[in-house]
Order: sequence, then structure tokens, then C-alpha cells
Amino acid sequence: MKLALTIFLFAAAATLLAHPAAAQLIIANPSVKASDVSKADVRDIFSGAASNLKDGSHVTPILLKAGTTNDAFLDLYIGKSDAAFRASWRSLVFSGQATMPRSFESEAAVVEYVAHTPGAIAYIAKTTPHEGVKILAGK
Amino acid sequence: MKRLPIATIVLLFAARIASAQSLDDLNIQIHGYATQGFLYTTQNNIFTTNSSDGSPAWTEAVVNLTSQPSEKLRIAVQARYFLLGNYGNAITLDYAMADYKVNDRFGIRFGKVKTPSGLFNETSDIDPAYLWSLLPQSIYPITSRNSFLSHYGGVAYGTLTLPPKIGKLEYRAWGGERSISSDDGYFLAEREQGAVLPNGTATAIAGAALHWKTPLPGFMIGASINHDALGTDAATETIPGYGTFNGTVTTSAAYEPQFFAVYEKTRLTLAGEYTRSPTTAVLQIPYLPSQVVTVDYRSWYGMASYKVTPKLTAGVYDSQIFNRQTALGPARFSKDWVLSTRYDFNQFLYAKAEQHFIDGTAQDFDTDLNPGGLKPSTKLTILKVGVSF
Repeated sequence: MKLALTIFLFAAAATLLAHPAAAQLIIANPSVKASDVSKADVRDIFSGAASNLKDGSHVTPILLKAGTTNDAFLDLYIGKSDAAFRASWRSLVFSGQATMPRSFESEAAVVEYVAHTPGAIAYIAKTTPHEGVKILAGK
Repeated sequence: MKRLPIATIVLLFAARIASAQSLDDLNIQIHGYATQGFLYTTQNNIFTTNSSDGSPAWTEAVVNLTSQPSEKLRIAVQARYFLLGNYGNAITLDYAMADYKVNDRFGIRFGKVKTPSGLFNETSDIDPAYLWSLLPQSIYPITSRNSFLSHYGGVAYGTLTLPPKIGKLEYRAWGGERSISSDDGYFLAEREQGAVLPNGTATAIAGAALHWKTPLPGFMIGASINHDALGTDAATETIPGYGTFNGTVTTSAAYEPQFFAVYEKTRLTLAGEYTRSPTTAVLQIPYLPSQVVTVDYRSWYGMASYKVTPKLTAGVYDSQIFNRQTALGPARFSKDWVLSTRYDFNQFLYAKAEQHFIDGTAQDFDTDLNPGGLKPSTKLTILKVGVSF
């Protein structure tokens, strides 16, 4: 009984302490000077509230059109559903405050675009191949 | 009857393409949306529609073109077809501007630009962006959209990063000229009393806004003030049985402060806003005694919304406006309790349903379409469908 309880407590602790950000990678074009990025920075960049990282690097967010990686990213960093997230971007576009970020169907296409576009920043699953892009560590 | 075919064509066209057309080679984006509303009221007709019989006279269609030729420069144009009862039925320019953003701390827009006062002024005509069919009319009257949402001139904006424990401060400062056309809802009461500004009015404006994004995530407190210089404009007054006379109307400068706050946490959003709009207008017709009209509007609302599921959102607000210069009675105030819901079928298509319980007649009702006189209370039901891409 004690063993079962111990296993349960360890499992619960591991679940609570696991960093959910580990499921995604924040990637950027190698031209971006920064090597790390905070959760608040990611939220501001991808919600249109900011276009510069703290070191002054100008960045342009790139989105996935749908999928589990997209949903998990929005849930973790933005705190919105996909519909609410896109509605907030439309609000920025129609009020003249922003340009809609480019969206891609696949993570491979995102990696390809980010690798060849100065300033581009995006998110992919940790398991997705990511040659040619820079990984921004979480702060 | 032209509006129904227009709305149908626009909706079908928008649904057909149903995705943003990004002209990558030219770095140009095209976006748009269209909505069709249906109004039904008990008692009074509202917004110059025959709503007591049920009215579909509420159609909007918007097309937006944005180009970003360089990292810091963005050019955007947005046109709108708007029809609400006797208002609009024309294509107008929401804005046409260039935006040069040096960095997050400083940017500037110029041309015809959105006026960033209050909590929702920049976004109040963007139906796909929010839950409500009608934003609180006490502060965002739909019958004055073309006049009060934008101006010719510029806006400077930016975000100042404060120490982490204090949060961030967003600022906007604006100046230029605002035009109010003669058929705007702003002049409805004057028109019904026989006084018309045939050329409308154009006035210099200036203002500033601060949004403090507090250290508490999702909590923002803000304030803005707008100065309207106003002045003297040509006016005519029609006196039944005597004819129409030419004269002038002189309106005193107005300062409009607005205070607002919003709190967003995952599925919950709370917001509130207060404003005061005092002014005095003097109508002078040669050989007739001057008429002085003084208004002192105090307006506020509180709202709450909750995302029940990823596709379903529901909310409630209470919106009130009082004219402290009007005698006691239903014409002195308007109190509007609202229940609202929105369902997103997918990221392009949505529907809204909203119920208003309006007490008082201080705004939204005209006497031409209510010839039997205004009743003190009205229930308004709104159904709306929209598509955006």
C-alpha cells in the first residue's frame, strides 16, 4: 500500500513539476541575436504587443495554421483558444495596428521559412527536425 | 431593397474565398468581413429602422488591404459599406494610413487614422473581434461610427517597459481634424427640431491615452482625454409655416475624459469604462432669439464575458447614460441591460444573439419613426451572422 502511495505521489509531483514548455521549441532565424526568450516575451511577440526582443532584435512571428502543436503553444504561452487567438489578430489588422502573421500548414514548412527569413520566429514540436534555425532557450 | 442582394453577394463571396488572400510577391494582404443583422423591438423603433416589425436593415462589409514594404513601414487602407436604418448606405473610408514603427517604444501613424481613445474606440466597428452585437451605446454609439472612430492627422504610440514589478505603460497621442457629417447620429436631436448643419462640422482634435498593463497578468487600467475644439458652422432652421432660415451654430470646446479597466484571465473577461461629455451649442438665426442647448452626458458600463467552450461565448453588460442638463424623466437617461452570446462555427463564420432591456429614451430612438411618441422602455432582440477572412 505504501509503495503504491509512494509511486502515486512521485507521479503526481512529476506531473506538477514538469515544464510544459518542453513540448515545444521556440525557433528563430539565425540572424536573431538573442539566445533566450522569456514566456512573457513570447506572449507579447505572438499576440502582436511587441516586435522587438529585449536585446533589440526585431522579430516577426510565424504561425501554424492548426494542429496539436499549435493548440498546445497557444494554451501554454497565450492562454487563448485558436479561434480567440485569430480573432485578436483580426482585431489588430482591422483596426490598422498590425499585419496578419504568415501561417503555414506544416511544421516543416515553418522551419523552412524561418531558416530563410531574417527576423522570423516560430514554434514547433520538440521532435520536429529543425536544421538551419536557431533554438531560443526559455528564461 | 438593394441591401439584401448586396449583403448576400458579399457573404457568398466572402464564404467562397474564406481565407485571406496573401499576395506574397507584393507583400500585400487582403482581409475582410461582412455581417448581416436583424433587429426586433417591442415598443419603440430603434436606430431609424422599422424594428418593431422586425428589420434586417443592418448590413456591413469591410475590405482591408495592408502592405508591409519594409520591416518598419506598413501601409493600410480599409473601406466599409455600412447600412443601419437611414444611416449610411454608402461606402466610406475607415482609414488610409502609413505606419512607421521605429521600435516598440515609438511609432507613428499618419493619414486617416483610427482615434485610439477609450477602451474600444479603435476596435468598436470590428464585429468579428468581440462577443457583442452592439457595444455599450452609452460610450460607443453605432450611429456616429464614421465621425468618432477616426480622424485626419496622426497618432504617436509606443510601449514603455517599466521595472518588472510595475508592469508596462502603453501611450498614444493624437491630433488632427475630425469631420462630422450632417446626417450623423450626433445631430439627430437637432435635425428633428428643424435645425440642420448642411455641411456638417470639421473640428481640430487632440488627445492622449495611457494604458498601464499592471504586474497582475491580464489586468490593465487606462485613461484618455480628447479635446474637441469645435467652433462655428453654417446652420439652417426650419420653422413650420414660416420657412427655412440661414444662420450659424457655435459649439463650445469639449474635453472628454475616459477612464477604463479590463481584466482577462483565460476564459473570463471583465471590463468597465466611464466618460463625461459636456458641451454647449448656440443656434443663432438673424432676427430670431438665440437658442442655447447645453448637454452634460455621464456614461459608463460594466461588462463580463465567459468562454463557455472554445466555440461558445456568453456575456452580460449594463450600460447607462445620463444627460444631467435634461429634466427628470425617461428622456434624461438610457439604461441598457444586455445578455449576449456568440457561436463560432469555424474560424471564418460566426453567429450572435443578443437581448437588450432598455429603460429610458436618451439615445438611439428618433421621433420620425416613432410618431406616436416614445415609450419609456423597449426590449431589443438582435440576431447577427458574420463571416471574416
